[in-house]
Amino acid sequence: MTKIKRRKFSKKNITNILFILPLLAINITFFAIPFVKAFYMSFFDWSLLGEKAFIGIQNFVRAFQDKKFLHSLLFTAEYAIIVTPMLFIVAFIMAILVNHRFKGVGIFRTIYFMPVVISMTASADIWLWIYNELYGVLNHILQGIGIIDSPVAWMHLPKTSLPAVCAMVTWKMAGFSMLMLLGAFQAVDEEIYQSASIDGANKIQQFFRITLPLIRPTIGLSMVISVIGSVLAFEQFKIMTAGGPSSKTQTAVYYIYQTSFGNYKFGYGAAMSMVLLVILAILSYFQFAVMKDATE
Amino acid sequence: MKKNKGNLTIVVLLNVVLSTIWLLPLYWAFVTSVKTQKELYGGITFFPRLATLENYSALFQYKEGIFFTYLRNSIQISVLTMILVTVIAVLAGFAFSKLKLWGSKLWISLILFTIMVPAQALMVPLYNTLSDLKLLGTVWGMVFIYATFQTPFCVLMMKSSFDMVPNALQEAALMDGASNFDIFWKIYTPLAIPGAITVLVYSAYNTWNDYTIGLTFGGNTMKTFNVGLVDMLSNDNSVNWGTLTCGAIVGMVPILILFLFLQKYFVKGMMSGAVK
Repeated sequence: MTKIKRRKFSKKNITNILFILPLLAINITFFAIPFVKAFYMSFFDWSLLGEKAFIGIQNFVRAFQDKKFLHSLLFTAEYAIIVTPMLFIVAFIMAILVNHRFKGVGIFRTIYFMPVVISMTASADIWLWIYNELYGVLNHILQGIGIIDSPVAWMHLPKTSLPAVCAMVTWKMAGFSMLMLLGAFQAVDEEIYQSASIDGANKIQQFFRITLPLIRPTIGLSMVISVIGSVLAFEQFKIMTAGGPSSKTQTAVYYIYQTSFGNYKFGYGAAMSMVLLVILAILSYFQFAVMKDATE
Repeated sequence: MKKNKGNLTIVVLLNVVLSTIWLLPLYWAFVTSVKTQKELYGGITFFPRLATLENYSALFQYKEGIFFTYLRNSIQISVLTMILVTVIAVLAGFAFSKLKLWGSKLWISLILFTIMVPAQALMVPLYNTLSDLKLLGTVWGMVFIYATFQTPFCVLMMKSSFDMVPNALQEAALMDGASNFDIFWKIYTPLAIPGAITVLVYSAYNTWNDYTIGLTFGGNTMKTFNVGLVDMLSNDNSVNWGTLTCGAIVGMVPILILFLFLQKYFVKGMMSGAVK
């Protein structure tokens, strides 16, 4: 049987290529060529108008001396470091809460996942209104229960704007990590718990000695995914803080966007994109490492 | 984990509290959108005294109904992207799963590579490519960019759903003298429909919710709904928050409805989309 199949198919090998032709066409035009072009452009002084001049590694030298770019990288790291654990803790609590069998548990899972499916634009819009200094519901509630004395301008203070954006992102994305963790919880073999109970381990011991070690790879994976997402952060800050006050909350992608499409410095923008790609490559390496861990 | 009754009650209670908190922002957006302007800026009320649709009509009357144009752009781009992505993914997924292909392994590893590179890192050369092809600010320009960054994952998704269809079917059909295309169209495609729905939903979600690609490549001629909403939000102080929350509601209702009906496919697409 197999032999017949192979022979017949190899005869039609050339027509088989037609099936992947659309994929190849679109990926070569809008991925492969631009990818090579990004590398090429980064060695040029390349603006919207005017001559394109080859300047070697000048753009890269400039990037590592550019205080604004370095600040944007640091700020992106700061954002990732704050939002990742925040989101993870909430997601972990959620996953524990919905990892039970009772009527209606599906409704809670759906509610936690709902913000994940709406756009970042819509949720940033809604939360900006919640955070509004004069008419926002958050100030109203916090003043009501006496946590703050006077309204806070959440989005205008460097101290509060980053945590406020992190809270919005946590609300939006926790349901996602929750589902990953829930899947891991449920993949643990019930029998392991049963034999542990027989050996006299209580629930808390079981959780720390059995559950946590077994789901560790998933914890790692969900954190790496969250870090990669944070490194690419752009719209939440563009919409909620506009990078302000005085560019303090500008992320790396935001600064690259600004340089490339606000000031039309394409060559320099491409060079900074290459730096971003290297950072992403390192993170992807970690993702593959933990994924290997997760599947073993 | 088996828990006794008392613990379960606490778990349910905590779920009720947390899910209430999770629903509050959505509830707040909704009540804001139906409040009168007077009530909106006259102190906090948790239940609107008077429900009105005036904010919705203000949204759609804004700048002579420009939001109709934004909506039309978004729908047009999303539908075309969904069709293109699904066609490419079904064809290529089938080929990778069931046909003998020259360089098959190489293509698959290239796909894995493309998945790791996000559009955000290639904005500058993509802008340049679109500009060379005269596709900046056009429907097709944006459809191609969305499709490029969605297809790699969708092809793998379709490949694994074709992988689950047994080869015996194909061998039997071949014995009967069917052509490759007949086999693909009559035998496999109907069996791969769940995978195709997952791909469609994944594409709808990613295209409809996008902001960055729309902002960068849509220009002034092809603004999507999200880009238009942020424009109004950031640049026009005369617009009240009732209208702005209407924008958020109109933007999220289509995708929420899709989610509630096709939850299974949504979750599958998004989870495997992130884990890859």
